[in-house]
Amino acid sequence: MNKVSLTRRKFLLSTGIAATGLIVGCSVTRANEIGYSTVAGAFEPNSFIQITSDSEVIFYLPNNEMGQGILDGLTTLIAEELRVEPGAIDVRHAQRHEDYTNPEMGMQATGGSNAVRGQFLPLRQAAANAAAAVRNAAAQQLNVAADKIVLVNGMVDVDGKRYPYGQFASLAATLPVPENATLRSAEQFDQIGRERPRLDALAKSTGTALFGIDAEVDDLLRAVVVRSPVIGASLISFDATEARKQSGVVAVLEIRNGVAVVAESYWQARKAAALVDIQWSKTELSSWSSDTLYEKFVETLNDTSQKGLECCNEGEGGSLLENSAIVAVADYYAPYLAHATMEPMNCTVQIDGDRCAIYVGTQSVQVSAGAAVYYGDFDADKVAMHPAFLGGGFGRRVIGDDVAEAVVIAKQTGRNIQVVWSREDDMTADFYRPAALVRMQAGVSEQGVIETWAVRRVGPNTMNYVLDEWVDALAPDFLNKRFVNWLSKFPHSLFNRFVADPSSGDGIYTDYDTANKAVYHVTQDPGLRTGFWRSVGNSSNAFFKESFIDELAHRVGMDEVQFRLANMQKNPRLKKATELAAAKANWGQPLPAGHFHGLATHSSFGSAVAQIAEVSIENNTIVVHRVTAAIDCGMVVNPGIVRDQVEGGIIYGLTAALYGEVTLRDGVVQETNFHTYPMLRMAQAPTVDVHIVDSQEHPEGVGEPGLPPIAPAVANAIFKATGQRLRTLPLKLS
Amino acid sequence: MIRFQLNNNPVDVDVDPDTPLLWVVRDHFKLKGSKFGCGMGLCGACTMHMNGAAVRTCTLPVAAVQGASITTIEGLGTPDKLHPLQQAWVEHSVPQCGYCQSGQLMSASALLATNPNPSDADIDTAMNGNICRCGTYGKIKLAIKAGAQAINSATVQTFDPRAVETQS
Ligand code: FES
Ligand code: FES
Repeated sequence: MNKVSLTRRKFLLSTGIAATGLIVGCSVTRANEIGYSTVAGAFEPNSFIQITSDSEVIFYLPNNEMGQGILDGLTTLIAEELRVEPGAIDVRHAQRHEDYTNPEMGMQATGGSNAVRGQFLPLRQAAANAAAAVRNAAAQQLNVAADKIVLVNGMVDVDGKRYPYGQFASLAATLPVPENATLRSAEQFDQIGRERPRLDALAKSTGTALFGIDAEVDDLLRAVVVRSPVIGASLISFDATEARKQSGVVAVLEIRNGVAVVAESYWQARKAAALVDIQWSKTELSSWSSDTLYEKFVETLNDTSQKGLECCNEGEGGSLLENSAIVAVADYYAPYLAHATMEPMNCTVQIDGDRCAIYVGTQSVQVSAGAAVYYGDFDADKVAMHPAFLGGGFGRRVIGDDVAEAVVIAKQTGRNIQVVWSREDDMTADFYRPAALVRMQAGVSEQGVIETWAVRRVGPNTMNYVLDEWVDALAPDFLNKRFVNWLSKFPHSLFNRFVADPSSGDGIYTDYDTANKAVYHVTQDPGLRTGFWRSVGNSSNAFFKESFIDELAHRVGMDEVQFRLANMQKNPRLKKATELAAAKANWGQPLPAGHFHGLATHSSFGSAVAQIAEVSIENNTIVVHRVTAAIDCGMVVNPGIVRDQVEGGIIYGLTAALYGEVTLRDGVVQETNFHTYPMLRMAQAPTVDVHIVDSQEHPEGVGEPGLPPIAPAVANAIFKATGQRLRTLPLKLS
Repeated sequence: MIRFQLNNNPVDVDVDPDTPLLWVVRDHFKLKGSKFGCGMGLCGACTMHMNGAAVRTCTLPVAAVQGASITTIEGLGTPDKLHPLQQAWVEHSVPQCGYCQSGQLMSASALLATNPNPSDADIDTAMNGNICRCGTYGKIKLAIKAGAQAINSATVQTFDPRAVETQS
């Protein structure tokens, strides 16, 4: 038996829960019907594909769709090799199973813009093998030579006579599945690279796409959780006398992070929750406010006796800085940010004795399932996952804190529970993009060669809070609980004291050819939990790097495009993207009166992006009229989705650049809803033109790389418009 | 007991009268297309039509719709019978995560019902209450124009006086 069929057998065993009637896969393109992991008489070559005797082709989508278009992208890979139309494939969210492990991350998760890159070969191979198996079965059944068979549009074609795949499913199921069928070559591609409407557009334009919050099961109660205003404070006591008297209230109970109010309806729970009176403990975070924290950052930045953790030290490091003809130093700051996914966090739990079913939009089915196991004390094989579409992820939905609350409430009440977070809950109990204060230093020759690049960074890290949660959710598969509890304290000391968190230095030193580089990070963390925020460290580091590069270009007196190109000889992809953006934006040509161009370039997640923002200042307000972007992301699966992701990244990043700031007062996050944490709206949104560099290289990320350059591109245009060098985000004119 | 028309069907409901219409529609009538985004009338995810006008239903007490006609995304069109705007949304691949799009479509369809040829500025004004965190604004604008054009040319081609009337 080959490896695939062994895994397949394990898969069937572990989803034996299907026999109890619980759902194991949800069709997402066909009005959300419910599907099962096995279909009688179907050919199941691997955990991704099924072909039924009715010629239904089912694809179990291993990554989660949060807007980035992965449903479309991965289905296209299957369609290409299986020779079926993408729109004819019934796509279902995959269950929790090791076969759906993200090849780059080693866990079942979606993030890091790596899904197409990581699945480009494995999924095509899975589909090509399935196609070869259909061909072999057809050859045998029709008694023709395999090379007489052409697969076309879900049909076996023999000399013009066509038979649907399903006719060969039952025979194919009995034959060995080829393991290394030949993949189609790039010249043969007719699905990959094709421009067509995205597959989930219909469901998402008719209100029929199901998100986590749309889950509905029998006898479902709604719960609202009152969490500590200072995240991480513990509950000392509470008085729910008034809350319990309210109509519809079924239970009020203490859970690990607050008080849950359970009622017949969401509105009843929400109203009663406002009446619960809670005493919370004080924590270290309670002693911090944004202004005191900023002062502390400044003090730490200046206290060079604290060397910090090394992110990078190449050549002579920063030691030759003063030898250069031009020495530049500038401090930059970026604040904490919230994700504000359009769909507030939520989770629905159906409980049936020692079993449960979890309905949730998640970036990691594995973490979510693990959270149910750990916090709800369920056996792993008694947890059925029903992943849904995500109303935005952006890194927020990799944590499992939503599931943790819901399973505990369901377990304690013995009832089916949906926990719905308000926008205020969502914004004040996030895992925030960390703030950072940095000192950028560079030595440049008179000819404009960057000789030394030295960065000193102060702020919290990212990985420690995420790993803390992940250890709880991932470890119970194989470790006992006391050990897990001990282990979960570990990431803090690891990243704060011993090794640099890779996300803190992300992208701050990698794009330019500098012989001598030094980047050090000093951890200064008030205890506000942090997490992955679309493009992670690149989101702030690109602003620091690209604004500072612009300062250097102006100091040397070189054109900003030429200065960058001259210093990125070893970065051909970024160079190409920069040249393309400059050409398309007519860089250097006259603009309408009062309009100015600003450039930023940045590589992240394997892709290179250049952006040119056209900006004017009107009534002392920053107006971004147009952004011309170029991306080199290697080979493209669906060009429309690449352009949309770059545009979406620009709007997300521009929202942060112009408005985004999470502030603290006595440890409490002050931004609660869209009036205090504003979003870019249509009237402020620039026209975005995205150009894709033609490439036959392996595909790279597109979900995140569009974001990092926008803030510095706008800041650099503002400098040209006003002479003001804005070194603090969000950008504010003085 | 509160009575109103929901997607052209008479309905009645007996809930706390201050319950926002959004939750009545989602959790009582189980129509899940309308979304919850902010609860403060700030994002537009919950937009429905009340007597033809776009309203934010997360702050609209159900008592206030007594006798009114309410239309949700489910009443705008279905996968088999799309509203021209939905058709344009699909053709232009407007949605990314999709969560805001029901609200966007309800605001856009209310606009076209009163203004069949909106300018860019008209569109910006009408859509100002709808946030899209995924940044689909450019595509939304494109699709509104395409939808408007489809409606207008269909009206002109058929010369059906009733169609002209319903479009205006
Ligand atoms: S949920 Fe109603 S406007 Fe945001
Ligand atoms: S498509 Fe995601 S919020 Fe609009």
